[in-house]
Amino acid sequence: MRMILKFRRSVGAAAVVAALAACGDGSGSTDDDQDAAARIVATTTIWADITSATLCGLDVPALVPPGADPHTFEPSLRDREALEDAAVVIANGGGLEDSLTDLLSSVATSGTDVVELVPLVDTIDSGPGHDDDHDDDDHDDDDHDDDDHDDHDHDDHDDDPDHDDHDDDHAGGVDPHIWQDPLRVAGVLDTIAAAGEEADEQQRNCANAYRAELEQLDDEISELIGAVPIAERLMVTSHDSLAYFADRYDLEIVGTVIPSTNTLAQTNAADLADLADLIEERGVRAIFTEELESTADADALAERLDVLVVPLVTDALTTAPGTDTYLEMMRSNSTRIAEALTP
Amino acid sequence: MTWLTDPVDWWVSPFADNPFLRDALWAALLTVLCTSVIGTWVVLRGLSFLGDALAHGVLPGIAIAFVTGGNTTVGALLAALAMVAGVQLIRTASPLPDDASIGVLFVGFLALAVVVMSAQTGRGAGDLTRFLFGSINAVDAGDLRTLIVVATVTVVGVVVLHRALLVSTFDVTQARLIGFRPQLTHFALLVLLALSIVASFETVGTLLVFAFLIAPPATASMLVGRVPLMMVVAVMIGSASALIGLLISYHHATATGATMALVTVIAFVVSLAVRSGLRLARR
Repeated sequence: MRMILKFRRSVGAAAVVAALAACGDGSGSTDDDQDAAARIVATTTIWADITSATLCGLDVPALVPPGADPHTFEPSLRDREALEDAAVVIANGGGLEDSLTDLLSSVATSGTDVVELVPLVDTIDSGPGHDDDHDDDDHDDDDHDDDDHDDHDHDDHDDDPDHDDHDDDHAGGVDPHIWQDPLRVAGVLDTIAAAGEEADEQQRNCANAYRAELEQLDDEISELIGAVPIAERLMVTSHDSLAYFADRYDLEIVGTVIPSTNTLAQTNAADLADLADLIEERGVRAIFTEELESTADADALAERLDVLVVPLVTDALTTAPGTDTYLEMMRSNSTRIAEALTP
Repeated sequence: MTWLTDPVDWWVSPFADNPFLRDALWAALLTVLCTSVIGTWVVLRGLSFLGDALAHGVLPGIAIAFVTGGNTTVGALLAALAMVAGVQLIRTASPLPDDASIGVLFVGFLALAVVVMSAQTGRGAGDLTRFLFGSINAVDAGDLRTLIVVATVTVVGVVVLHRALLVSTFDVTQARLIGFRPQLTHFALLVLLALSIVASFETVGTLLVFAFLIAPPATASMLVGRVPLMMVVAVMIGSASALIGLLISYHHATATGATMALVTVIAFVVSLAVRSGLRLARR
């Protein structure tokens, strides 16, 4: 009898040890040795690609992995480590990396240079459906005596100009999707190039070469969209992500399924009904969805109204060829948009 | 198996190399101190559901404070107090059992939070996720200061109230006879509970603070009998869980708050299994 009981006890103990051992398995710690800390890190895959091309093909890791949505990405401790170890972080700003703001401001106080790109360009305010009154009152810095939430942030606000700009963007309701306009991207190339380690001849050549590629991209897209009759240049998008593209290439965003620049907001029945009416009235031919999100609302709308649903890749690069670099992504989107809108 | 084969590299190096990780550990340990100590009384007095309701009930306070530009901590505290008052009101006004009255308020508060956050188009919705899951990897000096203050208040409060809590938990009539005031004691406990929850939402978030509130004390209650010892054991178990959870989250890039919460629950399950096993063995 005692033997059986002892056996049970030891089996139990063995099971516990085995379970704990299984927990410890994994290549986690071996990665420490292999990862040399990257000097420059970008928040999104799009900026990582652009930064890499500007800096002569330097390996620039992106915090938000390919296919993930920068609006909802949750950073891990490893991500913080990567940011701390980096010398420069290229961030979009303007509220795109909502879930990273705390992290970026903490990291900025410990010596990493956080470069925000939105404040450097001509911005567009967030589109229709955005409540302006609401924003002016709520994000007034005087009222924002948010001790707990921003105790750490308030000190940073004073020291870190990037963070101040970030707050202004909040107040103004700025649309952060600035990369949708190649010329605006060309405009920030100098700032990105300045993050490079050496400001030498080769560096300048790479930056200039990429700038030339951006200008060529711009010409190509202008031609594609230019071929679409003006009356047909009407778009409905999934969320408010293509305003800069529309601004540059003379298109009109008639409405959005999610009335926001942020994929986290939710739709409601009243807004969708209004959108349906608008689509019929204006004769919109297509609803442009994004691969990162659920297209349920857009699909339902499109079926009811007999319009096309065209998937685009707008907020992050993917690993699939054709959308794995910024230039390719823009070409792919423009081609699809032009095709969908041409009668 | 590197945590066994290469212990310094797995257990020590991450903290040696990364100051933010040390801060995160401090934040976690301070959170454990508050929540385990209060949590012991929550478990003993059968207040777990109320504890969970409070943890989620702070959300509309945060949402409204956020939208009106007010202080989110104050908003959270007000919401917590509103919920406590609400439960009391429903209890006196209707014959509903406590769990129903708490449940009704719980879901009402949660729904209110979602409505408020959704009405605010776009901006700030990401912050709601942060309150739900915490942002322990963005912890810094200000957060730690707040936690130290709350931990001190909580521990002092619990020590001061110890006898009153002890007697009123196990025999309310006796408490009154001795001269304690059980209603006031109960209210004081709920205030300390609300305080701990609000202070912890920065680190582990409101969804997960409940794990720290309940699991380590529950585990401790299976191992020891006397209340003060139970608190000490709860803090030890909670601290070990937080440490292990933090390290696992670091090495395997998992969500930090959730990993720590998971470890506290695993600790409970393991203790339960070992205890049941030992019991069977003794027969």
